[in-house]
Amino acid sequence: MKNLKKFLTLGLTAALTLALTACGQSAATSSAEGSQAAASSQASEAAEASAAEDTNAIYRTLDEIKESGTINIGVFSDKNPFGYVDENGEYQGYDVYFANRLAKNLGVEANFVSTEAANRIEYLQTGKVDVILANFTVTEERAQEVDFALPYMNVALGVVSRNDKVIDSLDNWNPDDSIIVISGTTAETYLTSNYPDIPLQKFDSYATAKEAFQNGTSVAWANDNTEVIAFSLQNEGYTVGIPSLGSADTIAPAVSKGNTTLLDWINEEIKTLGQENFFHADYEATLLDTYGSEYEDSLVVEGGETK
Amino acid sequence: MNWEFIIKYLPLYQRAAILTVKIGVIGIVFAVLVGLVCAAVQYYKIPVARQITAVYIELSRNTPLLVQLFFLYYGFPKIGVRLSAEVCGVVGLAFLGGSYMAEAFRSGLEAVDDVQKESAFSLGLNSRQILGYVILPQALSTSVPALVANIIFLLKETSVFSAISLMDLMFTAKDLIGLYYKTTESLFLLVVFYLLILLPVSIVGTLLERRLRYAGFGD
Repeated sequence: MKNLKKFLTLGLTAALTLALTACGQSAATSSAEGSQAAASSQASEAAEASAAEDTNAIYRTLDEIKESGTINIGVFSDKNPFGYVDENGEYQGYDVYFANRLAKNLGVEANFVSTEAANRIEYLQTGKVDVILANFTVTEERAQEVDFALPYMNVALGVVSRNDKVIDSLDNWNPDDSIIVISGTTAETYLTSNYPDIPLQKFDSYATAKEAFQNGTSVAWANDNTEVIAFSLQNEGYTVGIPSLGSADTIAPAVSKGNTTLLDWINEEIKTLGQENFFHADYEATLLDTYGSEYEDSLVVEGGETK
Repeated sequence: MNWEFIIKYLPLYQRAAILTVKIGVIGIVFAVLVGLVCAAVQYYKIPVARQITAVYIELSRNTPLLVQLFFLYYGFPKIGVRLSAEVCGVVGLAFLGGSYMAEAFRSGLEAVDDVQKESAFSLGLNSRQILGYVILPQALSTSVPALVANIIFLLKETSVFSAISLMDLMFTAKDLIGLYYKTTESLFLLVVFYLLILLPVSIVGTLLERRLRYAGFGD
């Protein structure tokens, strides 16, 4: 009797483990067995959404979004001045300005969903949002998981450090020092593959990384150069010792893999908006206070055309 | 399922599991000590200290661990106290666990009937002997189920450590998903490693409870 119970426990846990891990891949098939209560909420959600198509991809087409009257847009809520919540509780910033225009031109309400860097791809893949407009840098690896539209901003990596100990090179790194990065960003990927010996102190949100850097947890903070420049301009006592690191990249909207109707529409929008110099207006409305006009031409990508 | 990925990042999970267990065990040991002291204070109704522990227990049981960790890691440096993430984890677990352990011990102590003490006293045992031979053995065996439940609870609570940049199991999984987008594999490893840590604790706990039932009086 005792042994039977033990085996039953083990068997159940094993089944639960499998059910939990399987639902990511074959959502449609796992809906049949409804016994695993813990796994079912995730699985059924996925199964529902994918019922329309036979593929694993879960997304809403352009028509479905129009019909529903709202578009779900994933943005940052703590990345001033690109995507943040202001004192009135409203989403603001360069990305949000663009997102509002997209929603307006589509004739639907914009429903903003707050994301963290590391879950941007998952949010698309699980259908939680239709578009990600969260300062999403285009990389080859990411392009295998999601579809990027035309770019609307230039970006590289940058490293900010304290004025009393400015770091201008990552060579000959003292292994006792660490660099702060945010989990799931290009800075993390770049440093992990190019400087594997530098200890990284990883945080899961902008707010906590900033707080920890200001508390003196690490000597430097590596992130998109736009972000670290903004940080050094907004806070006394910090210098961007390395303003440009790694390759020059772009930032673009992303949609679920295969969602061509939405992707094509966004691309057309970006081209049309280029004719009225929309992104320059966006810069002047949201970024001018932080960066001045100095960075306008180097940051803004108009009409999806990089120089 | 990409097995190559799983094998490649297994060492990362091992390291995270060791960190989780290390901070968990140290935190739980301190939690037990804090709990014993608080329970003793409450049991012997020591003035002033009793009120302080009552406030501590309510404070600790009614705030989430995440909030306590934020306080320690992001708040304390503002007043000049800089603790490493590991120390914050241990202190946070001990602070949270201490109250739960105290309640477990207190319920055990209170479960020992007065008639037991009176009988021991009439048999000529002094107060130290009564405590050592009569009260504690019964009280501790009564509180073991609650203790085991608390230990499992505290080990699971370690999953919020990612907020203070500790590379525990949860954060390792989240980080790998962010880096390589291998959601299924990362979550599979996460579940397996948590089970590897918690199942033995649970099984040993069950065996221990069964064994200790003999110590109960009158069963």
